[in-house]
Amino acid sequence: MVASTPGSDGLAPAPAVAAGPGHAASPEGRPWVLAAYGVVTTVALVVFGVDPTLGVIAGALNVVFAVFFIRHLSFAVAAARWAERDLLAADIGLGDYTPDVAVLVGCKNEELVVDGMVSALLALDYPAHRLTLVVVDDGSDDDTGPKLDAWAAREPRLRVLHRPPGAGGGKSGALNDALALVEAEVVLVFDADHEPEPSALRRLVRHFRDPTVGAVMGRCVIRNGKDSSMAGTVFVDYLSGYLVNEYGRQALFELPAYGGANCAVRMSTLRALGGWNPETVTEDTDLTLRILMAGQRVRFDVTAIDFEEAVVTAQRFWKQRYRWARGHQKCLRDYWRPLMRSPHLSLLEKVETTLFLLVYHVPVLSGLGLLLTVLRAFGIGDLPAVAVLPLSMLLFVGPLAELCVGLLVGRVERRSAWRLLGFLPSFALAVVITTRAYVDGMLGRPYTWVKTSRSGATSTVRPAAVARAESAGPAAVPAGAPTRPRTFALSGPRPAEVGER
Amino acid sequence: MTSVAADPAPAVSRRAGLVRRGSARRLFPVALDLVLAALICFVGFRYLTDPLRELEALGLAQVVSWIEPGRASDILPGHVLLFPERGGMIDAVVTASCSSILSVLGLTALTAVILRGRKLHAVAGLLVAVAALLVLNHVRLLLSALAGMWWSDAALVLFHDWVGTLWNLAATLGGFLLMVWFALPTLERAEQDVAGRHTARRPDSWARPGLGYRAPEVEEARKPGRRRTSITGLLHRYVYPARLSAWLGARREAGRIDYRIGHLPVSARIARVRALVSDGLGRAPGLAGRGRLLRRGPAGPRRPGAGGRGAPVGTGHEPPRGRPPAVGPRLAAGPRPRERARRPGARRRGAAPPRRDRPHPGRDGHPHGGPAAAAHHRPGRAHPAPPAQLRPPAPPADATRRRLVTSTLDAPPPAPSGPDAHDAPAVLVTGAGGPAGIAVIRRLMARGQRVVAVDADPWATGCELATVGAMVPRADHLHFVDALIGVATAHGVDALIGTVAEELPALAAGAERLARAGVATWFADPLSVELCCDKSAFARALRLAGVPHPATTDTPAGLNEVPGPWVVKPRAGRGSRGVRLLDSRSAVVEAMRADPSLIVQTRLSGREFTADALVDRNGELLTVVPRWRTEVKAGISVKGTTFDSSTVTDAVAGALEAVGLTGPANVQGFVADDGRVTVLEINPRFSGGLPLTLAAGADVVSTYLSGIREPGRQLQHLWFTPGVSMRRYFAEVFTAEDGSHLPDPSDVRVGQA
Repeated sequence: MVASTPGSDGLAPAPAVAAGPGHAASPEGRPWVLAAYGVVTTVALVVFGVDPTLGVIAGALNVVFAVFFIRHLSFAVAAARWAERDLLAADIGLGDYTPDVAVLVGCKNEELVVDGMVSALLALDYPAHRLTLVVVDDGSDDDTGPKLDAWAAREPRLRVLHRPPGAGGGKSGALNDALALVEAEVVLVFDADHEPEPSALRRLVRHFRDPTVGAVMGRCVIRNGKDSSMAGTVFVDYLSGYLVNEYGRQALFELPAYGGANCAVRMSTLRALGGWNPETVTEDTDLTLRILMAGQRVRFDVTAIDFEEAVVTAQRFWKQRYRWARGHQKCLRDYWRPLMRSPHLSLLEKVETTLFLLVYHVPVLSGLGLLLTVLRAFGIGDLPAVAVLPLSMLLFVGPLAELCVGLLVGRVERRSAWRLLGFLPSFALAVVITTRAYVDGMLGRPYTWVKTSRSGATSTVRPAAVARAESAGPAAVPAGAPTRPRTFALSGPRPAEVGER
Repeated sequence: MTSVAADPAPAVSRRAGLVRRGSARRLFPVALDLVLAALICFVGFRYLTDPLRELEALGLAQVVSWIEPGRASDILPGHVLLFPERGGMIDAVVTASCSSILSVLGLTALTAVILRGRKLHAVAGLLVAVAALLVLNHVRLLLSALAGMWWSDAALVLFHDWVGTLWNLAATLGGFLLMVWFALPTLERAEQDVAGRHTARRPDSWARPGLGYRAPEVEEARKPGRRRTSITGLLHRYVYPARLSAWLGARREAGRIDYRIGHLPVSARIARVRALVSDGLGRAPGLAGRGRLLRRGPAGPRRPGAGGRGAPVGTGHEPPRGRPPAVGPRLAAGPRPRERARRPGARRRGAAPPRRDRPHPGRDGHPHGGPAAAAHHRPGRAHPAPPAQLRPPAPPADATRRRLVTSTLDAPPPAPSGPDAHDAPAVLVTGAGGPAGIAVIRRLMARGQRVVAVDADPWATGCELATVGAMVPRADHLHFVDALIGVATAHGVDALIGTVAEELPALAAGAERLARAGVATWFADPLSVELCCDKSAFARALRLAGVPHPATTDTPAGLNEVPGPWVVKPRAGRGSRGVRLLDSRSAVVEAMRADPSLIVQTRLSGREFTADALVDRNGELLTVVPRWRTEVKAGISVKGTTFDSSTVTDAVAGALEAVGLTGPANVQGFVADDGRVTVLEINPRFSGGLPLTLAAGADVVSTYLSGIREPGRQLQHLWFTPGVSMRRYFAEVFTAEDGSHLPDPSDVRVGQA
């Protein structure tokens, strides 16, 4: 592979990949396309009249919604059928395959959560000589760096890499820098707020025995659902997101997404692809697609668990989802064409990949659909040209079915059913967020990595475990030695002293 | 964006056709389910629409007639004719879109394809949701009709079309949520709470992966023993015949088998169960017959040899009968043969298969545990009322005659045998089946104490030697401490002595509750106990403290620093279970590969000693009584002699200090030929060879008891006589069928008579 052009739009090329293959530039925005959409719509409105045009658009939207409804429902059915069984599936191949593994974590101003994260990493069940832990302090200006250094001083397995502030590339840049430091067959990635279960590592790594597996995704579970109602909603969202949606993609199409944390990548694949793409804000979707195009597969292991922190306020939710929407939508623009030409995907897989890439466009279309409905209420626009089912059914029932199966498979108590109500406002929020992201993305408004703030309020790693990591045992009881007799024998030491009879 | 030029590694082979073969297997059943859902909607819409809307029209006309008599007519099917006061007539047609048919069919289809795994719950949820939908739609139609009656036709249309559509949307959503609510498990049966905290009452290693994390505050907030009446429970209690109930219970128990280990070879399964026991089942690993985990069903009578104390875990394993997949542990299933034989009436009365460590699954609302398990031993119609935890037991008619091992709450109060019998508070001794327990019981009995002996094994010998014997669940049972409190309250106990190391964490956790029940305890710091039970952590602690300890490692890599010959043992084993002596490095590596839970130590040579020790609450050593282990059988010394050595006493004191243990302890080690002392392990409890220590004059039992009863008291040093020897032999206790003691034919007095 020849080195191609590094980033062209002013972002600093990541040092780790500068020598290797880089990431081809892609246009940041496509304002002309947006303008073309506008022109075509206007022409249609003028030529065919307002009402029929809106009727046809509404009909087309209904078809799209129906397709997504079927997709959601299929995932729900698949999960209802098999997810529970797969959760308890036999633990095969956990013990005897232990390639060299490097665990990489990027941290930027994470002093609240690093301790829990490092404790959890150190507790990972894996042969010590085959495991390297690299935590990148990505220009933090809080206590993250010193905390990590303190851990590194205690624990030889842990290496800390300090990046200067403004080193560029966001999470991808940090991970690429860390990647240059390690030699391993498999690279695991976590985020700073993640606390994997000890078994997660082995469960992820076992899949690499299959040479066509390029990356493996584990299941993330929200640990701070009690912190706020937003976090509680995100908890339910993650349950269905992983136990139903991601699970369904694996079960039905074997096309799950690599999710950026609690996941593993084959080092040779990663190096051949030139590392993580520093130009995207969702490096995970980006890598998923590049792996697919390279002819390898991503796999999802529903039993590899880690616990992460949910955003606790609507404001942080907005920031996080905006980033996801922006990055994901850009991936569609960048990769859809090459994917459709890929010789490695069957027709059905191409369809599913398209739908996957469209996921963050659907709320935009939903907003459009609702707008058309409101217009119709005021007598503007024909009835939809295609009316499969009521719009409400298509929009809500699919996701609600997924959420409900997520709760069922997770065996969450019944009060959580009412939590589903919380998804109505979040649905409205999603419409606004994705529409905003779409317009911004198409116009090419500048955007870079935005760090998600953490609270660090809830940890799955008990404080006792941290204490144990520091001292090998409980503090010894104050010695009573001075008052102790030499022995407790009545007649003092006899000739039969130790060692003889 | 250009596509990637390089081929990083082997790529998936593209197969011809629409789908790749692996995923196709699962696509088709899902497609069939979707077709089923579509069929339900289609067929339902085709055949049910007219009947339903006619029914709705009928109902609407009826209700309007109640409100405005004579102003509504149902003469046309599917129509309601309204006659407003202002004159004229409104023909209100209940169309398919006014009817709730679409929502009803949608929910039915969803239930059929995604909720059907919940069976009865799903059906109940659907019925309730449909009923709610019908009622809400009627309200919508009624309000529309009344709007038409009171105002105008336009009001009817406006209300029906606009308010009504939103109403319908909300009603459908509400119906859906109601359905989901029914389909989801109750808090007692759920495994996570609303916030994702792990609430399942099962050990972590047995839980489904990713069930949230354990939150201590949830455990605390839980009201223990809260009973709920459930339909299933009522059915089992009052409706099902006993046989059916028992069969269902056994079937359900069989389903508890954790098949995640079923594919493993037997040796690996054994290792796995050991690991599970030591971490998950294990706040109380090994307690009361760890081997039972692998046996069929709950504790049957102890079999000679396999599965008994001292036998390696899993030797008694048999695959469940009638079930082809040979799977690993099950917690309990099926009636106990002995119970059947002894109480034939129990089953006739409708009792469930008696279970030892878990309540009957269907008999109450506790899937993960119920009130003190023993309370379930004789449920059935004889005791319809839920037994309260501390319900004073009603003495059965034959209570005076039987003084036998009983279940906790059915235990008759001790028969008043003398005026002082009730005055003196009693001592509760756990682990009455083990040698340490028996030694403690006999010593306390000899000191004139009233002793209540408990064990999970109804055959525990110590129960026959004590004033009262009782059966309690194993320490890993949720209600272990409840059961102890029940026994303690029933028998006037004021102090508790635990003789099983693996019980200590559970006991220590329950110490506060025991104290509230008036039972004094004295347990070592749970961290110290844990340190003693984990051989690997113990080795680290001793190394840090500079106490001589054999080189130890738990990884094949660390083997370089552990010179041979080797001894390989389970990290958390006890006695000599699972211990192997290996001489070749390759054999050691192989063993460790096969079972990562093993640790490897350099095998020690020299003379083996054991020291009984007692440390007061401040950490001051009260006594160390070393003795040679001249002969050992199944981990218990059967011949030994006390000896005096300051070197051994120093090493023992150092080791105890390193782990920070208080209370009774049993330190084992070796004295090499050159006189160097090495400490091998510490058991945080009384030892099996305790009688020798007592015979040598150090009454650690009585001193410990006074330390329990008077925490502030300054305990005195205990002195012993070196050179006292012990030779042990078997002794027997005989009981008749009713539990009464039989004379020992070898007893001198009996022999003379």
